[in-house]
Amino acid sequence: MERRTIIIDPVTRIEGHSKITLHLNEDGQVEDARFHVTQFRGFEKFCEGRPYTEMPSLMARICGICPVSHLIASAKACDELLAVRIPPVAEQLRRIFGLAQVVQSHALSLFHLSSPDLLLGMDADPAKSNLFGVLEKHPQLARDGIRLRQFGQQIIERLGGKRIHPAWVVPGGVSEPLSQDNRDAILKGIPEALAIAERTLEWFKYTIEGFREEIKTFGNFPTLFMAIVKPDGGLTFYDGKVRIGDASGKLVAPGLEPSRYFEYIGEKVESWSYLKSTYYKPQGYPHGIYRVGPLARLNVADRCGTPKADQELAEFHELQRTAVLSSFHYHHARLVEILYCVERLEQLLTHADILSKHVRAEARPNTLEGIGACEAPRGTLFHHYKIDEQGLIRWANLVIATGHNNLAMNRSILQVAKHFVHGNRLTHGMLNRVEAVIRTYDPCLSCSTHALGEMALQIQLLAPNGEVLDEAVRP
Amino acid sequence: MARVLIIACGNPLRCDDGAAWHAAEALRRTLPSGQAEILCFHQFTPELAEAASHADAVIFLDAAAKGTPGQVVCEPVGSEATDSHFSHHLTPATVIALARQLYGASPQAFVVSLCGECFDHGEELSAVVVAALPEFVRTVNQLVSQMSTNPSPGTP
Repeated sequence: MERRTIIIDPVTRIEGHSKITLHLNEDGQVEDARFHVTQFRGFEKFCEGRPYTEMPSLMARICGICPVSHLIASAKACDELLAVRIPPVAEQLRRIFGLAQVVQSHALSLFHLSSPDLLLGMDADPAKSNLFGVLEKHPQLARDGIRLRQFGQQIIERLGGKRIHPAWVVPGGVSEPLSQDNRDAILKGIPEALAIAERTLEWFKYTIEGFREEIKTFGNFPTLFMAIVKPDGGLTFYDGKVRIGDASGKLVAPGLEPSRYFEYIGEKVESWSYLKSTYYKPQGYPHGIYRVGPLARLNVADRCGTPKADQELAEFHELQRTAVLSSFHYHHARLVEILYCVERLEQLLTHADILSKHVRAEARPNTLEGIGACEAPRGTLFHHYKIDEQGLIRWANLVIATGHNNLAMNRSILQVAKHFVHGNRLTHGMLNRVEAVIRTYDPCLSCSTHALGEMALQIQLLAPNGEVLDEAVRP
Repeated sequence: MARVLIIACGNPLRCDDGAAWHAAEALRRTLPSGQAEILCFHQFTPELAEAASHADAVIFLDAAAKGTPGQVVCEPVGSEATDSHFSHHLTPATVIALARQLYGASPQAFVVSLCGECFDHGEELSAVVVAALPEFVRTVNQLVSQMSTNPSPGTP
């Protein structure tokens, strides 16, 4: 039998455009797999020459799902350029903004994109693997997804003035304080959001019993895990030190400075993808493979710092004696984080000073280089800018969550394909599992390539001579 | 009075794709207070089903890419929901179908579209769309007036 390649193009129910190629050997067994990101935008280049003050708003345009994370990382980089310490309330308001975005982004990933797989199964009729299939089988779950996403979006709208691409986070703080009406309105939604998070977690824990084979084979291998944590090792999305843990659960690097990211994170370009692969420099490429995002955050965090989420975190850590390795558990981690975010929102919004009017520090640039980092829904995000004396951007580098996970996504596809793909014909269940493992990471390809594109899926089966033997395409 | 919801869709940074947003702005200025709620979005998402479920009538405004530039078309929203692999980018028919299936609501729904000429990067509308914008707004105004008093009008 000759060697062949299967190509999945485009990959569906993720953010952005990509394809997957599976390379088969002479025996028809999967030998290699690649996740190709086929879109490109070039934000790092076209912001050159723009005033630094425009950067948060410009960078927010990278993504329609997580613009808030880009706003925050960008504004933090600009805070460094100004060399200011922003008012404490401004920092808390930014945290609230970021938490709201995690809720809506995680809700989108779990309820809208992955719940068809979880509820209907990996072999379900593709015509039903969508929101309508979910609402037919479990209408409450569909309503909960919509409600939870709305909850997060409405907080963003109340604070930032609009749901997508708000420009409220600015260098030095935020542009407007929180009003009492908005605070009260957000607080009013907390009990319902908490109830949704809790009942969805219960549903998920019951549901995953039917996915033991997927848990074993969906990105279930040792890697490092990286996330920003608070000084006490607690979960955070806004600020702290970079912590890296290994597969055994031991800390490899307990507290790295985010502003020195370039000393420990390398970026490698592969000719077959616009998405760069990052790696932990001390272990080299590709051995320095690590994962970021919900799974990594819960693996390296000692605590959440809110009562219900702490209880869930303890249960999560019991899934495995070592770090929790299967990428299937990204879904679980995502739900724990939603619970944490809702609880944390309530803590922050009931703080005595949260309505303070002192929300912005005014300054001119005092240094020519700034780095901002935060935890985006999908993982650690770095923005790094250099400006000239006039405050114009001369150089920018963005290291995005999905890029951190690139090596792990490729290896996960290989693992799933080796387990589920056999022979020279593609079946839906086979194809869907290859896609589903990518969905566990919830990649945002528009962010990671800073590229604009449409999401779709193509899988191709290729012979060693490049001949396409079989192909599955979804428009 | 019937509750009318207007949902404008498009990207105002892509020239004529933002036509619906421009119309929404004009409608906010011209419609009597309380006659309709106006929302602007980049795309139709599942969350809109909940908002639509509270309305007696929903009018979707959008820019069309096919047709004669400047052409205004008003048509009822079909009952067939179309599948989306992306699940957060829906058609008006899907939004209304979700409102019906999730919340038991059956608002009357219309799509009013204005065919664009230029969908390049930029905030400016093309001349042909600028010229057609008053008709676009007038069509929506008429529809709102009819729906406010009778939420089951025919196509104007």
